[in-house]
Amino acid sequence: MLVQMAKIQIIGTRNVLDRTVRALHHAGVVQIEEKLPTVQPLVLDAGAARQREEITLLLARLDALLTLLPKRPQPKNISALYEGEAARPANDVMVDSKNALGQLDAPAQDLVRRHDQLEADQVTLPRYAKTMRQLMPLAAELAPLKNYETVALLVEKKFSAVIEMLRQQLPALTNDQFELVARDIETDTTAAILVFPREHSAAIHSMLGRESITQVRLPDELTNVPFKEALATIQNRLATIPKELEQSHRELDALADQWRTRLAVWSAVLHDHLQALEVQGRFGATQYTFVVVGWMPRAQLPALRDALAQVSDEIVLEESRLSEHEREHAPIVLSNPRPARPFEFLVRLMALPRYGTIDPTPIMAVFLPIFFGMILGDVGYGIVVLLGAWYLMRQSKPGGLRSVSTVIIYCAVWSILFGFLYGEFFGELGEHLFHMHPYFPRGKSEWVVTLFAFSLALGVVQISLGFALGIYQAIKLRQRHELLDRVAKVIALIGIFAMVGNLAYALPPGFMTLSIALLLVGVVLLMYTLGWMGLILAPIEILGVVGNILSYLRLAAIGLSSVYLAMVANKLTERFEDALILGIIVGALFHALNIALGILSPTIQSLRLHYVEFFTKFYEGGGEGYAPFKREGIR
Amino acid sequence: MDVGSLAIGAGIAVGLAAIGTGLAQGRIGSAGAGTVAEKPELLGSMIVLLAIPETLIILGFAVAAMIMLVLPGMAK
Repeated sequence: MLVQMAKIQIIGTRNVLDRTVRALHHAGVVQIEEKLPTVQPLVLDAGAARQREEITLLLARLDALLTLLPKRPQPKNISALYEGEAARPANDVMVDSKNALGQLDAPAQDLVRRHDQLEADQVTLPRYAKTMRQLMPLAAELAPLKNYETVALLVEKKFSAVIEMLRQQLPALTNDQFELVARDIETDTTAAILVFPREHSAAIHSMLGRESITQVRLPDELTNVPFKEALATIQNRLATIPKELEQSHRELDALADQWRTRLAVWSAVLHDHLQALEVQGRFGATQYTFVVVGWMPRAQLPALRDALAQVSDEIVLEESRLSEHEREHAPIVLSNPRPARPFEFLVRLMALPRYGTIDPTPIMAVFLPIFFGMILGDVGYGIVVLLGAWYLMRQSKPGGLRSVSTVIIYCAVWSILFGFLYGEFFGELGEHLFHMHPYFPRGKSEWVVTLFAFSLALGVVQISLGFALGIYQAIKLRQRHELLDRVAKVIALIGIFAMVGNLAYALPPGFMTLSIALLLVGVVLLMYTLGWMGLILAPIEILGVVGNILSYLRLAAIGLSSVYLAMVANKLTERFEDALILGIIVGALFHALNIALGILSPTIQSLRLHYVEFFTKFYEGGGEGYAPFKREGIR
Repeated sequence: MDVGSLAIGAGIAVGLAAIGTGLAQGRIGSAGAGTVAEKPELLGSMIVLLAIPETLIILGFAVAAMIMLVLPGMAK
């Protein structure tokens, strides 16, 4: 069902503007229109504009700080805290949060920076330590010297000619004042340590750079320390890091414990204040009055009228008469009985229906699970899917995932029901294990034709229902063209059914003439509706409708393929007579694959039957969503 | 009728229909993936468009099933 909407106009004197905005914000039912063609837009006064700037800046800082602090579980009284803060004047909340930010910003950032540095060290230091341990044996050969610089090199063995080259070039560069020791440390690496007086540092480094020889780089604070000490320092550092990390975690946690909830509440409250200031950009204004134009569910009108009357008697709320054009742009609110509600998102997935048309949610809630059940139709698979979806539903918050899992639960129940009908429990395993007696063994070849006929019958039912809805809607909305189009197709379809009935000897022979006549009437009427192009298009369109019905064969076909897959799984298990455990594992894996396919493919196929075959008979998308001006609250 | 030729006929019915569906879905799918990347809200229409050519293989399967299950009965 689409909720009836009303377009409203609120006019008031400017001295009650703030209170009106607050009342509208609390009521949270009015979607405020973007542009008002007839009046000037309202301009915020200097004070309010400044407040808006300040809140924007504060929010950026608050939200940045919130991302630094670790998450805490929300306390139970969070909404009470939020209401408490929301009731205070905006300026007080701003001052409080500004103070808190001044107090917290620097320490929190320091803590986080330290924490990140510790984590980085924890990863990089062991790498340094490994290299240094490789170099240690060489370093032992060199006496530590003051005013001398030490450079460590690791060279792949195939490039070890580089070391010879160094030996030749260094005497000239350093006046023979150098020491170079090299040794193979691993099968493919040669390590070298080079010691030279500090005064030659620049020349040697530039030479190393020129020859692209990579030096072992150490953290800055360790570069001028002898090797042995440096390694010891690194090891000491590594030993203390876990403790320091724990300490910084504790400090961050303490900050979060103390502040996070408060900051989050302030952020939510300030977001609301900002929203209330920004929405005024959509208001219209004259020198002494303001105008708000918006949409709301008609049922809520009296409540809003009361709320505004309590604010002041200088506010007028009136409902506007809708033009045809305005009606088309009314925002869409879906309202369905509780069991059908999880299916709303499937309709949204397609597009919101246009205002004034039919909301197909309840019909989808009936047919979709039946289609799914008919395709999957297996007690065992149904139970597995049911348990999985039930677990998912318990775990998820209200919203997308909860709706999906609820829809799957309905579908699973129907699969179990159809499973009893088909006598399937993990394929034909039920027949072997519990002697399940199938009423309708769809896997057996003599039943396949019946199954096809049953699917087609479902198709005829749903397509006819679609046409009935389409005709009703066309009459209601006075769409002459659509009405003729649908009536013509229905007449032609009846003609075709009668012909099929005749050919199958289900109807007396005299009906043949009548059925051909009906088909012709339908085609001609459709040609007339479609204009000149109709001469070619009308037969194609009618064939298309027949194709739509044939399309329901997928209910049988895909179901059969899943039965055969299940049979394959069981046959495969039987093959492993000697290694029963292995056989059971293989069979279980195969069944798992089949269940995964068995959720995906029936879902998509049933959806497709609705979207392509059913919706096209009446559905008109293009509705716009309803986004009322309301407090977001705390998330 | 010879079971072998029936099976070949059924195989052709399913196989050609599958090739047709595959070709169509391949093109629609690649275009659709691009569409959804730019406008995620079109996912619904995209699934619909992607699923349209599947009717071909379903009909192919139905014909194959008829060939295997109904024709031998009629021949008797």
